[in-house]
Amino acid sequence: MSLEDASLDIVPGELLAVVGENGAGKSSLMNVLYGLYHPDAGTFLMDGKPVRLKSPRDAIARGIGMVHQHFMLVPTLTVAENVVLGREPTKRGLLDLDRACDEVAATAKRFGFQLDPRARVDTLTVGSQQKVEIVKALHRGAQVLILDEPTAVLTPQESDELAQVMRGLVQQGRTVVLISHKLKEVLGVADRVAVMRRGRTVAEVRASETTVSALASLMVGEGSRGAALTGVPVTAGPSGSDTVAAGAGTASTRSDEGTAPSGPIVLDAKDLRAKGDNGRPALQGVSLTVHAGEIVGIAGVDGNGQRELAEVLTGLRALDGGEGTLLGGPLADLTPARAKARGVGHVPEDRLARAVVKAMSVEENVALGRHRQPPFARGPWVDFKGRRERTNQLLTTYDVRPPDPTMALQAMSGGNQQKVVVARELDADPKLLVVVQPTRGLDIGAVAQVHARLREAKARGAGVVMVSLDLEEVLALSDRVYVLYEGRVTGHFPRKDLDERELGRRMLGAESDHG
Amino acid sequence: MGERTRQVLPSVLSVLLALAVCWLTIALTRDADTATKAYLQMLWGGVGNWPAYLEGGNANSVLRPLGESAMKAALLTLTGLSVAVAFKVGLFNIGAQGQMIWGALAAALVGAHVSLPAVLHVPLALLAAAAAGAVWSSIAGLLKLKRGVHEVISTIMLNWVAVSLVDNWLVIGPLRAVAQGHQSSITGTAEILSTAQLPRLLGDSSRLNLGFPLALVAALAVWVWLGRTRSGYETRAVGLTPEAARAAGIPTLWRAGGAMALAGALAGLAGAVLVLGTEGRYPGTLGAPYGFDGIAIALIGNNHPLGAAVSAAVFGILRAGGTRMQLLGVHKSFPELIQGFALLFVAGRMVWLALLNRRRAQRAAVEVPRA
Repeated sequence: MSLEDASLDIVPGELLAVVGENGAGKSSLMNVLYGLYHPDAGTFLMDGKPVRLKSPRDAIARGIGMVHQHFMLVPTLTVAENVVLGREPTKRGLLDLDRACDEVAATAKRFGFQLDPRARVDTLTVGSQQKVEIVKALHRGAQVLILDEPTAVLTPQESDELAQVMRGLVQQGRTVVLISHKLKEVLGVADRVAVMRRGRTVAEVRASETTVSALASLMVGEGSRGAALTGVPVTAGPSGSDTVAAGAGTASTRSDEGTAPSGPIVLDAKDLRAKGDNGRPALQGVSLTVHAGEIVGIAGVDGNGQRELAEVLTGLRALDGGEGTLLGGPLADLTPARAKARGVGHVPEDRLARAVVKAMSVEENVALGRHRQPPFARGPWVDFKGRRERTNQLLTTYDVRPPDPTMALQAMSGGNQQKVVVARELDADPKLLVVVQPTRGLDIGAVAQVHARLREAKARGAGVVMVSLDLEEVLALSDRVYVLYEGRVTGHFPRKDLDERELGRRMLGAESDHG
Repeated sequence: MGERTRQVLPSVLSVLLALAVCWLTIALTRDADTATKAYLQMLWGGVGNWPAYLEGGNANSVLRPLGESAMKAALLTLTGLSVAVAFKVGLFNIGAQGQMIWGALAAALVGAHVSLPAVLHVPLALLAAAAAGAVWSSIAGLLKLKRGVHEVISTIMLNWVAVSLVDNWLVIGPLRAVAQGHQSSITGTAEILSTAQLPRLLGDSSRLNLGFPLALVAALAVWVWLGRTRSGYETRAVGLTPEAARAAGIPTLWRAGGAMALAGALAGLAGAVLVLGTEGRYPGTLGAPYGFDGIAIALIGNNHPLGAAVSAAVFGILRAGGTRMQLLGVHKSFPELIQGFALLFVAGRMVWLALLNRRRAQRAAVEVPRA
């Protein structure tokens, strides 16, 4: 049950933000509004009249548009082709592309977007692709525009621009519904904020009359979080220290420890080159060092070589050039098995494809990768008893719910799946831990826990390489940050020189002055 | 619904539904009485006429049919396992037939041309058959893993290559038995030596031989291997999520290749059981498509090694008993028809589960009042 007695009033011409933890029901509620889900009970009124939306087609016909978190664009088509898809203008039965371009250009202009209707979508930046999605919805006559976590993939500059776009739409009389869990951002742009918790709408407040910490305590519910985190040393969280302070009950600003890396070098890589899945160069000469006992953040806009870098470091992708030493062995002939043997832990980005076998049980997943050694195996045999004991231990320590080792992993929520992965990797006591987007899609509680665990690994002397698209996360955890842009390092900042704006500039390819 | 129920129930329902459909077919074309009697004949033919035995006490009326069923079940179990094992790494082995042909030939040659005491001769012949099947399936495995050739295409083609090479050339040409003395017009390879024959377990009253326990042991071994050993675990992980298996340091190519080789070995063993147990030599043409039946057996058994053994037992019984339906003028191919329908229905496994879930949901909806 993801929605339970949720109510929402959307007032025309305002910017309404819907906030809540993951699994609070934000997306479910929006999917009901968009006709994707059908409510079991309850009413849906538009302009005072009850409405039944059978499908997104119905919703679109009634002027509701949605911009999904994952864009629904055809990368090889042009902007105009994408926008008119499904309602293409025709001339004598043939597609009239010129008219499509004119129409799209007109719509874009009316709402103040700068878009070339003839540009191919896969050549655009993520921020521009998002604009294409918004224009697509507007072009179909959306009066109410729902944006699902729109800033998750954007740089700070692009996020600012999006905020202006949203305000502009409201000024032109459109209604915008913004789903987010970045509270600071929400308060900067919204008129009104609806808070969801466990499938219910628990509060609706005016943005001008509330604060980040007030919203955060509404989101997590008074007192409930403390119990859930018993025994976990929570020191920081996901979206800025404000949120964390409220969500976890313990405030901590960025630590000022670890000014200079001091531990032995666990990774020393020079001029790494590797091809991406599409065969194009993804890493074009990346050099980096990682010491034991530090967290090195890798910042960058999605698709600038971070994933490939993580794959090289874990033996999943072959090097095309460059050299390096990783935990006392060469980087060139690394395989996943060798990386594991040397002590590399890996929390990959795409959990379901890479980190777990979702159809297997939790305990089988805890064993994955360590299944040949005790306590998971005895000789050629699976050690059922040892595996069960260790799994139970980890499920308790890492507060995985439900703590059932025999449950199929796919039956668990994403946050708990991720806890299982993190538990497994840290339990192996890695010397180098490579984590990619470790908290994507997790709720505040789970995020805080994962962050605490990463700090714990660091304290135990592991070198941690953390790739994240969430700049807040990079800033909150890293001792040093490398910025990647188009497969090159465009910035290298020790902790004391970290500056969000400067990072953002480098992420967009601005030249580096130092590092 | 428990996980085990979810796995087993659709298969059971599919077989029952297939039985019902075929009963209805006979009832509509003849009459209900004939249909029921024909089904009874099929049952007595498969498991033995127990009422008659209990009355008259003739053990042969039970042992003979059971032996026939067990013989068929053994072959179906082995080919079913072959398909199921390949499925575990995500490969669809359509080539059990071809692998079985090579296994049968290898067993026939070792059985006829090697002189050994029985305790060594039988294992050697079995080993040769397993190796021959494994080599044949590994061709498809290597093509898939090294060159990306789809295994469905390659195994189907390799079936025809096997038929052409063995049935259409070797056993009527170079490997054809030389006629001796009073024997004339021998087809196929030379008769195997008595030391290579699979021992009969019940003497002359039944054709039940070592092949049946062998198949059961194979099913148990595959089950234990998949569920309880490290390499079996790795094999399942490779089949379910290959990328995660690779990232976990599992040698995915070796596991996939190994499973494909094992699949061939099992099909090859089926060929050996056929030759060493009943045929006595590689006949002019292998005929019976047990390799293809293996696909149905594996799917009806939900690709579970023990499931395959159970479904092989069920269809072994039906097929051994099916011939008796002719006593009532019902065509003996009905067991195959039942198997075909069961396969068709089990392909809708998801539909079964959805139907069962909906019933439960409806019941729940009645019980829980809505706001």
